[in-house]
Amino acid sequence: MRGQFPLKMAVGATAIMLLAAGCGGGGDETEAADAVISIGIGEPQHLIPSNATESNGAEVLAALFSPLVDFDADNKPYLVAAESVESTDNKVWTIKLKDGYTFHNGEKVGADNYINAWNHAAYGPNGNGGSYFLERVEGYKDLQSKDPDGEEGPKKAPDPVAKTLTGLKKVDELTFTVTLSEPFSGWRSVMGYTTFYPLPAAAWQSEGVLKEDFEQAPIGNGPFKMKGKWEHDAKVEVEAYDAFPGDKPKVGGVNYRIFQEQTAQYAELMGGGLDVVTQIPIENLASAPTDLGDRFKTSPNSVFQFVGFPTFQKEFEKVEVRKAISMAINREEITTSIFRGSQTPATSFVSPAVAGYRENSCGEACTYDPAKAKAAYEAAGGPKQIKITYNADGGHKAWVDATCNQLKANLGVDCVGTGEPKFADLLTKVENKEPVGLIRLGWIMDYPLMENYLGPLYGTGGSSNYYGYSNPEFDNLVKQGSAAPTQEEAIKLWQQAEDILARDMPVIPLRLGQNVFGHSERVKNVEVDKFQKVEILKIEATS
Amino acid sequence: MSNIESVTQAEVPTAIGVPVSPESGHEKPRSLTGDAWEDLRRNWIFWTAAVLVVLVVVMSAFPSLFTSADPGSCALARQHKGPSGAALFGYDFQGCDVYARTVYGARNSVLISLIATTIAGLIGVIVGMAAGYFGGWVDALLARGIDIVLGIPTLLAAIVLARRLSSDPNESGFWAVALTLGVITWTTGARIMRSSVISAKNQDYVAAARMLGAGPGRLMIRHILPNAAAPFVVVLTILLGVNIATEATLTFLGVGLKGDAISWGIAISESAPYVTETARPLVWPSVFLALTVLAFIMLGDAIRDAFDPRLR
Repeated sequence: MRGQFPLKMAVGATAIMLLAAGCGGGGDETEAADAVISIGIGEPQHLIPSNATESNGAEVLAALFSPLVDFDADNKPYLVAAESVESTDNKVWTIKLKDGYTFHNGEKVGADNYINAWNHAAYGPNGNGGSYFLERVEGYKDLQSKDPDGEEGPKKAPDPVAKTLTGLKKVDELTFTVTLSEPFSGWRSVMGYTTFYPLPAAAWQSEGVLKEDFEQAPIGNGPFKMKGKWEHDAKVEVEAYDAFPGDKPKVGGVNYRIFQEQTAQYAELMGGGLDVVTQIPIENLASAPTDLGDRFKTSPNSVFQFVGFPTFQKEFEKVEVRKAISMAINREEITTSIFRGSQTPATSFVSPAVAGYRENSCGEACTYDPAKAKAAYEAAGGPKQIKITYNADGGHKAWVDATCNQLKANLGVDCVGTGEPKFADLLTKVENKEPVGLIRLGWIMDYPLMENYLGPLYGTGGSSNYYGYSNPEFDNLVKQGSAAPTQEEAIKLWQQAEDILARDMPVIPLRLGQNVFGHSERVKNVEVDKFQKVEILKIEATS
Repeated sequence: MSNIESVTQAEVPTAIGVPVSPESGHEKPRSLTGDAWEDLRRNWIFWTAAVLVVLVVVMSAFPSLFTSADPGSCALARQHKGPSGAALFGYDFQGCDVYARTVYGARNSVLISLIATTIAGLIGVIVGMAAGYFGGWVDALLARGIDIVLGIPTLLAAIVLARRLSSDPNESGFWAVALTLGVITWTTGARIMRSSVISAKNQDYVAAARMLGAGPGRLMIRHILPNAAAPFVVVLTILLGVNIATEATLTFLGVGLKGDAISWGIAISESAPYVTETARPLVWPSVFLALTVLAFIMLGDAIRDAFDPRLR
């Protein structure tokens, strides 16, 4: 997810106003099945499937849309809106849709709805954040164009050569094929992501142009439909869609209440105005288990937190220096003292949320050993001053300060944490090759495959490879793994690629995430999945 | 100051109309300042406040006199540990010495308040003096200007202004806060100045100086200002304390000092979320803050009482 979560902790006095404005959470005297429950979120950036690349938008869209595939507890994909997804060579995939799915406006869901939505998603000038999910589809490059003099320059980018992906072909009303430019055994899993939802004919202004206000009240094919419009900075309300052919939801509707601050969400949960808080803020973690009792819960998620070394910073060129810094960080101390156990130390480059994860694949480099670290650091001639740059809107100051204090004490260096207002500001500095030092990064998986933790982050020119790491051997192994005929073989190759990372240490793995969530007494069966979304079909009202 | 005294001695009435007390029957008639000093000397509130103020000022100038600990030396292993010989007030969330950080935090608070109050004082003198001395349309204009600024809620204006002045999270925000407070808090001073000048400018000695050919500039600076200054100085002393409190408030709200700066406001705001675990890192900076603000305000009150016995 482009490494920039969580984006939603901006300070805002409006939070207080919101508290006053948006009361009215649970249903009072209704039947359990008709009850309206409330879930706290931050303001979504977008409610267009292909552009909702952060968790708030994805959370709401998951209620409005039904995906082709979803994932079980073991991250194996199972079919939802698709009747079958098949391929003989991992290159040409045939997708057959289930009959009977309709959009909330009554339109039947057909192959065209997927093809049009995906073409729109992939078309470069549309600027969709989820566009890169389609880069494996044949013809993707022809839908992109490069601005000849950069974004700032006066010249405009020329129109791309093509408007539609050559790899998408309609077979009949309910069947279409996807041709990939290279075989990829994990394509079935990729299609479970938000970007791959279909769009109804009613969404289009003209061919390939989305109606401007579509995202104010998206029409989906999912178990819930919009009730009214998206009320910015206040709420998004949805209600059960009666004609939904799949598993019916167990509640009558969901009120997604929008908060500026996570602490405000928690306060509202305690005050009884909110039913579910999907991420309990650190500040409340000490008291939350007592406040909530058995309504305080944790579940694994896919978050991977790390810091990267920009390749243009010559002082971190030596792998010994990078390794020594990593060994001087006491991850355990930070996860227990700062994160109060809501995160766990990372000793690998992939999350346990995917098959192929191995504990301690990072080896000695991720093991805390201050004495050895200092000796190695001095022997390698590491810099006397270390800087860690982070985005100040994401609540990162506390752990960055603590990490700096550890480096100061263990390596005898001077260390400062520098906040940039937003993640985008941090990236701009990296692009301009300013001496940013270590950069804070985070990753939530897009699809549950080990490859998602490797290719985009460390592949040469990878979509989130901000530090510019490049190793042909690594690229090759990831590619071979993606083309492998079976998952088992793929995992073996990807694990070899991960071993290269442990040797090169382009980044320092720091922590793995957990969902730490809580709910009110009005709801039960609350589960938060690895994508940090509430399992919307499982949640129930208590009475 | 000798000049001021010579004037006041010569021309009995003063700005606030307190006659120099000849009835006390002392050896020689005392000046207003002398009289006030006589009064203050016997006032325990004054002494308490003065001692506290001196202590805080010394603390902000030479923090190392009070603690040998390094406020930047923190270790998570000591998180929220209780008081000990090494750390009088215990440790905070990051495992930093609360006492050391509180002592070192005085500097930012006091300096910001000093700069802000100086700015407020300068604006106040110029505006108040011009309004009071020239009267007429100048007064009408300036007085309405003061009313308008007074009408804006201080905190709201400060939040907006401070945020605009310092949006880069890497800056400490020191000058932004000082400037913000300065340009917002000058109104009370200006009002006091204006009324003092109005009562002073009609005094005979001013008329005499004018007849001798003194121009407005000389009249204002040499004759009126010294006699109108006393209540103004009192207001500024109180403002020093108020500004320290407002700085801490702004910092607490996230628009004041930022980043690695050590200050009471930051300490309070960073420990507030964990107050249920341990209150120490929150309580001590708060106590220092409250005492300092109180000291300045008490000092101002004591001085005012001494200069203007009618208010007692």
